[in-house]
Amino acid sequence: MAVQFAEKVYSLAKEIAEDCQGLEAPFCVAECPMHTDALGYIRHIREGKLEEAVRSIREKLFLPGTLGRICAHPCEKACRRETEFKQPLAIAALKRYAADKADREELWDVSVGADTGKRVAVVGSGPAGAQAAIDLRKAGHKVTIYDRLPVRGGMLRVGIPAYRLPHKVLDFEYSYLDRLGISFQLGVEVGKSVTLDTLRAQYDAVILAHGAHLGIVPPVNGGGSGGVTNAVEFLREIAFTEKCAVMGTNVLVIGGGDVAMDCARSALRAGAEKARIVCLENECALPASRHEQEAAIAEGVQFDYGWCVEEIVRENGRPVSVRLKDCLSLWDETGKFNPVLGSETSMATCDTIIYAIGQRVDDISRGQLPQKAGGRYVVDPDTLATDLGGVFVAGDAAGSTIAVEAMALGRKAALSADRYLRGQSLTEGRNFKLERSYKTEYDVPVPEGTEDLARHHSELVDAAVRRTNFLECDRGFDENAANKEASRCLECECKECMQECLMLNEFTACPGELFSIFLAKEQVDAIVPYSCNLCNQCTLVCPKEFKLADAFMSMRKDFVRANKGKSPLKGHGAIDIHQKLSFSRVFTIKRKGRE
Amino acid sequence: MAIRHGFMPGCSLPSYSPENIEKTIAYLRGVYPELSVVQKCCGKPTKSLGQVDLLQERFGSLIADIKDCKVDEMLVACQNCYNMLRESDAFTTISLWERMPQIGLPQEVRGKATNSDVVFSIHDSCPVRDNHAIHDGIRWIMQELGYKTAEPERTRDKARCCGFGGMIVPVNPELAKKVMGRRVQEMPTQHVVVYCAACRSSMLMGGAKAWHILDLIWGPVVSQSSQPPENVLASPVKAWVNRYKSKGVIARSIK
Ligand SMILES: Cc1cc2nc3c(=O)[nH]c(=O)nc-3n(C[C@H](O)[C@H](O)[C@H](O)COP(=O)(O)OP(=O)(O)OC[C@H]3O[C@@H](n4cnc5c(N)ncnc54)[C@H](O)[C@@H]3O)c2cc1C
Repeated sequence: MAVQFAEKVYSLAKEIAEDCQGLEAPFCVAECPMHTDALGYIRHIREGKLEEAVRSIREKLFLPGTLGRICAHPCEKACRRETEFKQPLAIAALKRYAADKADREELWDVSVGADTGKRVAVVGSGPAGAQAAIDLRKAGHKVTIYDRLPVRGGMLRVGIPAYRLPHKVLDFEYSYLDRLGISFQLGVEVGKSVTLDTLRAQYDAVILAHGAHLGIVPPVNGGGSGGVTNAVEFLREIAFTEKCAVMGTNVLVIGGGDVAMDCARSALRAGAEKARIVCLENECALPASRHEQEAAIAEGVQFDYGWCVEEIVRENGRPVSVRLKDCLSLWDETGKFNPVLGSETSMATCDTIIYAIGQRVDDISRGQLPQKAGGRYVVDPDTLATDLGGVFVAGDAAGSTIAVEAMALGRKAALSADRYLRGQSLTEGRNFKLERSYKTEYDVPVPEGTEDLARHHSELVDAAVRRTNFLECDRGFDENAANKEASRCLECECKECMQECLMLNEFTACPGELFSIFLAKEQVDAIVPYSCNLCNQCTLVCPKEFKLADAFMSMRKDFVRANKGKSPLKGHGAIDIHQKLSFSRVFTIKRKGRE
Repeated sequence: MAIRHGFMPGCSLPSYSPENIEKTIAYLRGVYPELSVVQKCCGKPTKSLGQVDLLQERFGSLIADIKDCKVDEMLVACQNCYNMLRESDAFTTISLWERMPQIGLPQEVRGKATNSDVVFSIHDSCPVRDNHAIHDGIRWIMQELGYKTAEPERTRDKARCCGFGGMIVPVNPELAKKVMGRRVQEMPTQHVVVYCAACRSSMLMGGAKAWHILDLIWGPVVSQSSQPPENVLASPVKAWVNRYKSKGVIARSIK
């Protein structure tokens, strides 16, 4: 029976469909560029279902163990326990726990789509290139990844030191790409041994995901010859040999970010007697994450905060010290990075200097693609398309700065390339908001009486021991800590009415969904509105106080109107009779009391 | 001019218990000798189905009856009637449960259950969640009778539906059964007191031992060994016979 619904039904339905929070992502999930279902896998962990947790993580991330260790976890900054109590859930560590305990190749989804006959070249095997390759392979294209190095993983493999991310963890997770049938051309440098033009001629599409591998070294007096290197080259050499040929015993690292921490901590492990970090920032403004800084200090790394290297002093060609000038401020009134130096100077001895002040993207297009700050290619931010047909950019080469963001850009580029290969519009019907980190509309208040529970921390190997080798230093959660940590999750999702109303559960995941479907179809099965108890219990618990009963009641009226004044449901025949009798002369009576 | 009172027992109560109707009328006439009584449906089921036109006609006939009796203030024993009648401004409407504390219970029932070993869980009627005076009245009555009571987690303004609402029983009986069962699960004790005969039927279907508050006022003292009155409303024949009997009771009570 086709029913013409009244305007009132539509306006109520619209309000509910638009504003119901039932399908709004929790803070962590919205913030994650890959939208990993942290709430879901943390719940699985709490319930002891670790395989389920891994499966859930793997729906979005092919690197659970890797990201569990090194993800910069923007989710934790968005976590409600952070915004409320400054003690976020240890989301990344929980991910690592699930992966370490339960990830097995048998759980991997290695299905791929039917062969499309199209071929794609991906330049760079870092997280962006790998993610793009996976998505394109799953869509049925043949994919080849080119990397100039003999190993896979990009900065995860040759940037992040092994004591933070053991190679075997990464290599195991990268074997997923082999299982999917992605081919590799390792040791091939695009732009040199093979040009972008050649790739464009040989393949139907090209993804550039070659990262930012040019270590920045500023021109400084005395900087010209030996004993000076940069983070990219230093850490790459460390990744291959656990040594650095040009390194002496007294290392000075310039920079205040996590990369500087990686350099200083690696230098100690590679045999340096002293490692010292010199940075412009003062202690409280250090860009490095707190745990990295603390770990470095515990291992004996020394810090000189608020200094700028003015000159490298050399003897016999070898650096012997640096001359420092104090840094008064970093940013000017317009918010631009513009350090102001004071008059105070100081000397610091050293024989090796490592610059860890940033990485640039190399141009491998031989000038065909314009670049902007940091060498990042100019791309359409929504689709990552370039002006070269069929060429897309992903990862740090397109502006990401952390691995999970690089992966999201890899996925975005793959989506665009897939559409390009199928001759479809790059933009039509795409929800770009969901392709990146976004702010959720979820705003149900924290339940009253929510306690500020302390965050659990995993144990680190003793500093004196760990600084002597490249073995992993974070031991990860044990079962007890993982369960306790998982149970701190505030489960930021609105299920208020769904927990209250049995009827809704028979028909939908949340009212927003139910009424969206209604609006799309402009119809609803009569049993839906006629199964509502009209008890308003949903309204009582709904943060938006939606009146579902009113909407259902209005629908009922329209059903009756369309059905000659009767309910469309057979069962209601009994009510018809009941009502007739209840108003009939036989069963009614009025007795007026005396005047 | 003195206010003229009326009493409207509703549908489910007269179908359930003509005895309760008889005793309640007698009690009210003791206070309001000019009491009128109207037995008719308020049309809530018609309304729930969405039959707008039919409702207007039916509700109109009820209002006409009440006006015929020249009632200024209508006392109702059913919470749906309460909400329906308050839509009319031809007279004021007040719940029997709100009125009882004001006029007091007969001396012979007060404290009668002081020695009962039963603790009654109170199930409030969800259509009157917002009416605290009714909730208070029920608790006052229980206290006057001498019964001990307990509250479920969702009570008074948060009371959950018994499962009967919205006329879902004939079209989605499994769901209704689930809702009834869940409401009963929530009750802190096995014995439940309600103030709607349909709620009582739901509580019984959900597995509780349930009494209507009028059973407790006018009937025997309930102890752990008592069985609740049978679920009359589950049997249409018995229910209609009772409804007819109640009509007779009214005719006899007010000559
Ligand atoms: C020292 C360091 C530590 C970091 N720590 C963290 C961390 O803890 N957490 C975090 O989330 N992020 C971290 N990052 C950032 C993160 O590693 C990057 O954001 C991420 O790896 C970028 O991924 P990508 O795929 O774009 O590029 P990359 O990972 O850089 O991979 C690019 C790949 O392209 C290859 N390549 C380059 N040029 C060519 C060419 N011409 N031809 C062929 N192949 C080429 C490279 O060999 C490399 O394998 C760190 C970065 C560094 C440098």
